[in-house]
Amino acid sequence: MAVRWSRWSPQIALTPALAVTVVAFAGSIVWTIWMSLTRSRRFADYTINWAEWARQYVRLANDDIFITALKNMVILGVGSLLAIVFGFILAAMIDREKRGEGIFRTVFLYPLAVSLIVTGLAWRWLFNPTLGVQNFLHQIGLTAVNFDWLSYPSTAMYGIILGTVWQGAGFYMALMLSGLKGINTEIWSAAKLDGVSFWRLYAEIIIPMMKFTFLTCAILLSLGVVKAYDMVYAMTNGGPGQSTWVPAYYMLDAYWQKSNLGLAAGAAVVMLAITAVIFIPLVLLTGWQLRRREAKAT
Amino acid sequence: MTTVAENSLQYARSVDEPVAFPAQKRRIKPASIAILVFLAICALFFCVPLYVIVVTSLKTMDQIRQGDIFSLPWSLNFDAWVTAWDKSCSGTLCQGVKVGFFNSLQILFPSLILSIGLSSVTGYALALWNVKWANTFLFILFMCAFVPFQIIMVPLIYITGPGVTVPIGSFNLHLPGLGIYGTVWAIAVVHAVLAMPILTLIFRNYYKGIPQEIMSAALMDSGSFWRIFGEIILPMSGNIMIVVLILQITSIWNDFLIGLTYGGIGTQPMTVILANVVITALGEANYNVDMASALLTAFPPLVIYFVLGRFFVQGITAGAIKG
Repeated sequence: MAVRWSRWSPQIALTPALAVTVVAFAGSIVWTIWMSLTRSRRFADYTINWAEWARQYVRLANDDIFITALKNMVILGVGSLLAIVFGFILAAMIDREKRGEGIFRTVFLYPLAVSLIVTGLAWRWLFNPTLGVQNFLHQIGLTAVNFDWLSYPSTAMYGIILGTVWQGAGFYMALMLSGLKGINTEIWSAAKLDGVSFWRLYAEIIIPMMKFTFLTCAILLSLGVVKAYDMVYAMTNGGPGQSTWVPAYYMLDAYWQKSNLGLAAGAAVVMLAITAVIFIPLVLLTGWQLRRREAKAT
Repeated sequence: MTTVAENSLQYARSVDEPVAFPAQKRRIKPASIAILVFLAICALFFCVPLYVIVVTSLKTMDQIRQGDIFSLPWSLNFDAWVTAWDKSCSGTLCQGVKVGFFNSLQILFPSLILSIGLSSVTGYALALWNVKWANTFLFILFMCAFVPFQIIMVPLIYITGPGVTVPIGSFNLHLPGLGIYGTVWAIAVVHAVLAMPILTLIFRNYYKGIPQEIMSAALMDSGSFWRIFGEIILPMSGNIMIVVLILQITSIWNDFLIGLTYGGIGTQPMTVILANVVITALGEANYNVDMASALLTAFPPLVIYFVLGRFFVQGITAGAIKG
C-alpha cells in the first residue's frame, strides 16, 4: 500500500477530524481547566494567582448547593440502576417467551426516540398535584397515596428517577437482549435437561456469562448520570428550591445566571474528573473481561 | 459457577440427538401466561405518558379542570394542536412551535451533512489506509466520545463566536472565531463536532469489515483515495448510512442543551421553544396546548422510530457498544 500518491491523501483527509479533536476537544479541555484556576467572572481572565490556584474548587467544596448537586447525582445514579435491573428482567422475559417479541420491544424502546424534554414535561404533567395522577388516585378512593413527589424537596429526586428509569429501561433491555441472544442455545436446553432451577440458571449461569453486557450498561448509565440535565430541567427546573440540582445544572447556572466563568469551569472540571474516575476503571475492567473471554475462546 | 455451564454443555453434546422439544403442538403453559401478563402490564406502564400526552392534547381546558387525567376526550378537538403550532408563546414571541420546527429542520440538514461527511471519510481513512498513528487517534477519539459536554461548552461558545484573545507575556494572541454564534449554523456545527468521535468509531468499525482483497484490487486499479471512497466504499455503506442517519436525526432533533446554548432568539430548535412554552410561560397554564406542543415536538422522531425501528435499534446499540 506504500504507493507514492496514496501516501498523502489519507493524511490530508484526516486533517479536519484532527483539527476538530485538537481544537474543540483537547484545546477546549485545557482552556476550561485553565479557566478553573483563574478568577474569571463574565469574561476570560488568563492570570492565575498560583498562591490560591484552587480557590474555585475550595468555593465549590464549601458550597452547600454544589454538595447537594453531587449528592443528587449519586442518588440519581443509584436509582437509575433500577433501569438496568428492570431492563434485564424485561429482556429475560422477552427472550424466554418469544411470543410478541417485536411488539414488546417496540413499546419498551419508544421512550428512547422521544426528546428528554418531552418526556420530562409528560412526567411533570402526570405529577401535577391538582390535575394529575394524584388527583386520579384520590378520586378512586386511594386518598392515603401521595403521588405529589415533585412538590417536596425530600421526594422530588425520586420523581426524576422514575422518569429516568421509564426513559432508559428500554435501552438497557435492548442491550441485554442482544447479550442474551449471544448466549449459546445449548446452555438453555442443557440446563433444562439437568433440571437446573429457574433462579439458579439465571443467578449462576446466565448473569455471570453476561458480565460484559452488564459492565457496558453500567458505563453508559454512569456517563448519562453525570451529564443529566434535560430531564431535571423539564421536570423540576432544579426545584423545589435547589433540591434537585445536579452538577450540570450547577455549571450552567454558574455560567449564565451567576456570570462566573471561573466557577462554571471548576464545576465542569469536577464533572470531567468524576467521568474519568468512573469511566477509566470500568473500561479497563471491560477490556480485561473481553481479553479473558477471547483467550478462553481460542 | 462456570463449571456448571461447562459440565452441562458437555452433557448436552454427548447426547446424539439435539435436545428437541416434544413433537406435539405446544400448549401455552401457565408460566408463559404469567410472563405475558407481566410484560403486558409493563407495556401499559410504558404507554401511559404517551397516552396522557395524546388525550390531554385533545381535551378542552374545561374537561382538563375536571381532573380526570386518564379519561378520553369528550370530543375530538384539535384546537390545542392548532394553537400550539401557530400561536403558543415562547417568551414574548407568540408564533407557536412552528418556529422551532423550521429552525430544527435548518439545523438538521447542515449538521447531518457535516457530521456524516466528516466522520465517514475519517472512518474510511483510519480503517482502510495505512496511517501510522491510526490507533493512537482512535483511542483519543474513544476518550473524546465520553467527555461531558460542559467541559467544552464555554470554549465552543468562543470558537463559534468572536474567538479568543490569549495574552502570552505582553503580547496578545488573537485566535479568530467562526462568528456564527447565535445562528442555526452554530448549533449545526457544534452538533457535528460532538458527534464526530462516536460516528467515526462506528464508520471505522464498519469499514474494517470490508475484505482486504477489495482494497488491494481497487489499488491495483490505480484508484486514488477519493475515487475508491466514492466508487467502491460509499456504494457499500448503504446500511450503515441509514443507521447513522437515523441515530443522528433523532439525537439532533431531540437535543436541548446545544440548541439552548448556541441558539439565539429566533434560531432556537423545537425542544427549546417547547420548554419555553411550557416552563417559562406567563399567565394561566393551558395544559392541552402544552401537551399538544410536546406531541408535535416528539412527532418526527417517533414517526422515524415506528417506520424504521430496526435501524433505530441498530443505531443506538452501535452508538453504545463500539469499544
